[in-house]
Amino acid sequence: MASSPPSSSGEFELDPVFLNSRREAVVIFGLWFLCFIWAVPVSYMMGYGQEVVPGNVPTVFGMPTWIFWGIVCPWLAADVVTTWLCFCYIKNDDLGVAPEELAEATAAGHESTAGNATTKEGV
Amino acid sequence: MTTSFLLADGSNAALITFLIYTLAVFGIAALSNQLLKSKSFMSEYFLGSRGLGVWAFALTFAATSSSGGSFTGFPAKIYTHGWVLALWIGSYMVVPICTMGLIGKRLNQVARASGAITIPDVLRDRFNSARFGLLTVVLIVFFMSFNLVAQFKAGALILKVLLNDVDIFKSFSLSVAEWASGVGFFGSDSQYLVCLLFFGVAVIAYTTYGGFHAVVWTDVMQGVVMVVGVLILLPLALNAVGGLDRATQEMSKMTPPMRGYGVVQLEGAATEIAQLDKEDWLKMSDGDSTRVFRVAAAKTINPGTKTVYGVELLEITTPSEIERILAGETPSEFVEGAAVTRFSDPGIRYGTATVSTSSAITISPYSPQVFLPTGNTGGEIVQVVEEVRLSAGEAKSVRIEILKISLHLRDEVDPEMANPEAVFSDLSTKAVSYEYGADTPGVYVSGPGPSATDSVGFLSLSVAISFFFMWAISGSGQPSNMVRLMAFKDAMTLRRAIFTVALYYTCIYVPLVFIFCCARVLVPGMEAEPDRIMPEIAVYLTSGIGAAWLGGLLIAAPFAAVMSTVDSFLLMISSAMVRDIYQRNISPDASEGTIKKLSYLCTLVVGTGAMIVAVNPPNFLQDIIVYVGSGLAACFLAPVVFLLYWPRSNVQGSTIGMLAGFSAHFAMYVMGAFFNDSFFRPYRLLDFDPIIIGLVVSFTVTYFATLATPAPPQELVRKYFYRRVES
Repeated sequence: MASSPPSSSGEFELDPVFLNSRREAVVIFGLWFLCFIWAVPVSYMMGYGQEVVPGNVPTVFGMPTWIFWGIVCPWLAADVVTTWLCFCYIKNDDLGVAPEELAEATAAGHESTAGNATTKEGV
Repeated sequence: MTTSFLLADGSNAALITFLIYTLAVFGIAALSNQLLKSKSFMSEYFLGSRGLGVWAFALTFAATSSSGGSFTGFPAKIYTHGWVLALWIGSYMVVPICTMGLIGKRLNQVARASGAITIPDVLRDRFNSARFGLLTVVLIVFFMSFNLVAQFKAGALILKVLLNDVDIFKSFSLSVAEWASGVGFFGSDSQYLVCLLFFGVAVIAYTTYGGFHAVVWTDVMQGVVMVVGVLILLPLALNAVGGLDRATQEMSKMTPPMRGYGVVQLEGAATEIAQLDKEDWLKMSDGDSTRVFRVAAAKTINPGTKTVYGVELLEITTPSEIERILAGETPSEFVEGAAVTRFSDPGIRYGTATVSTSSAITISPYSPQVFLPTGNTGGEIVQVVEEVRLSAGEAKSVRIEILKISLHLRDEVDPEMANPEAVFSDLSTKAVSYEYGADTPGVYVSGPGPSATDSVGFLSLSVAISFFFMWAISGSGQPSNMVRLMAFKDAMTLRRAIFTVALYYTCIYVPLVFIFCCARVLVPGMEAEPDRIMPEIAVYLTSGIGAAWLGGLLIAAPFAAVMSTVDSFLLMISSAMVRDIYQRNISPDASEGTIKKLSYLCTLVVGTGAMIVAVNPPNFLQDIIVYVGSGLAACFLAPVVFLLYWPRSNVQGSTIGMLAGFSAHFAMYVMGAFFNDSFFRPYRLLDFDPIIIGLVVSFTVTYFATLATPAPPQELVRKYFYRRVES
């Protein structure tokens, strides 16, 4: 298998950015799935096919009960989990430098060196 | 007859806002162009030098994802179908974390490692395959070109809705109509033409001149306008309706309106040509009670006329709503000196019919057509009252006027009257009720929501599942989103941006549902043109507090949204052509000066071309947008996920999977043409949307095709999945 030999040589190891990203993706997909199995079934069971008495709809904070428990609650929960993922779980990996960024940095370095040299000459 | 002075004020404000916007985006484009001079042109023009910070990245991502639909189509849907739209949009609770988090960090890393500037770049370099890169270019250009035309049309239509009552706009449109009258290509809608020209020129100019950074900065400005607009509207709407609970209870009493044709009697004969405007209010005395109607299509009244036949009307059916309208609690101003005397009875001479065709045709208004409902006997001669354009195999409900009843035999038909390509059926002069939810109180506060056309309601369970899947998962597979994921500065920026967009969407979509549920109560009878509910409610609420300028700002939000989507698509197509076709396949050693000129030229030509096609755009605007969005996800999501996360993935498996996803998705639409008589009414296997079929096929085929074909070269695996151990 082509995917395993590089690590066996001892010179290479699996890129931690790849490993972290894959682990984070699995968790994020899990979050989507949890929201899915919360929002759709709860909304369907509480909000579909129910008898409605006009002018006397059960509400929470003004919205129909099924909207509150089926959509707003999981939405707020998803926001809380998203916040946790963003600030506590997703790793602050180094994503590398693109070739053109490297070229620009090198060019800037040369200019800076040249600038310093000119200044020194001026002095 | 009456006109809505409030709306006119608001539209003037919209015009001023539009002009301010235009100036602002040109200023932004000029600033962006300065940046181009100090950076690598290609990377800066198409990718913003991979340097987007939190706010720029978050807001450009959010604004691009929220197309014009978020501020026109979505509010119209809430208004038309009620609370169930909260479930329809529900998966936006995880859209930010899914669309940015699932592949964002890894895609950014791989793009940096390969020096990729476009999505085809990434795919090509990851497998070191020029052919695969070209395949993705072809697919992107194919889908995006359709979408670009559709979005230009959407932008022009939104602008037309917003400027509808502005005097200077009307008179300018009339001048254009006279100028263009001899040229068939320009069509008959001069207002649309003017809006398309304004919109198109503005977007093409600033995108061409400023490139990616101009697009991103205008997105930021537009994103701010959108969220500020929504957050201002929310308390105003809740205050005006008396709280969200009151809105819900009022909605629970509502029943969908009836639509049909009526006769309007004037107190005295008209002395000059006049008009019953669309959305004018009319009453009808019916014994002790009063029935309330809204004009659904403008009707011209000729001098000397006292009785106006064939007025298309919408009847309000909810008793409590009628009470409030008659008591003056809603902004409903009745036309003085006119009343409905008959509504939807057989003698009205106007109605609807379904016209279908086997080849593309255009039927001119007031040209006699033959209606023969059963075999060769009986029928009528009818004429359509507005131009009808049909593509091959399409069927459409049209408004008709019956000219002569009781035609006996096909042989009696004057050949010049018969249009052999068009078949008329389902002739009806009766009032049409909703297919689901008619006469059913409570339908606006429960699922599946009322539907005028679907007998199972608006959002059945399978459709709800499809949408929950579609927004979050297929959103991750959009190349326009992916290219932004290549542009952020570092992982910290991504993390903060996901959080920002999550808050942003919470502040946009949940309040939008609240606001337009309130709007259902505050502004009744908008079913005649629900796309106007956003400007209508903005002007209604802000005029109440004496802030017309605020109304203009809020009205501009949908315009901002569609602008931010169009500019992104425009840049994607030109980058595919310049970078992926010219530079990488034709002239790898092209100088930066050549690339620069070519990039400007390509963006200009693609944009102008799309604008010209949009002069006579295809029908099915929303259907094209849905087809393109789901088709792109079916093609790109599986290969991209595998190439990022599976070292074993190879070019053969990804190519086969990409083509399989495209084919499965396309097949559902082709089968729709056979089984549902229209390409844009796709076949729903197991009642699921084609996107789900496309994604399942694409993921499955990519996986097995990859395993069945040789492993990828070790150096590629090493480059993208391994790093050298530091001693």
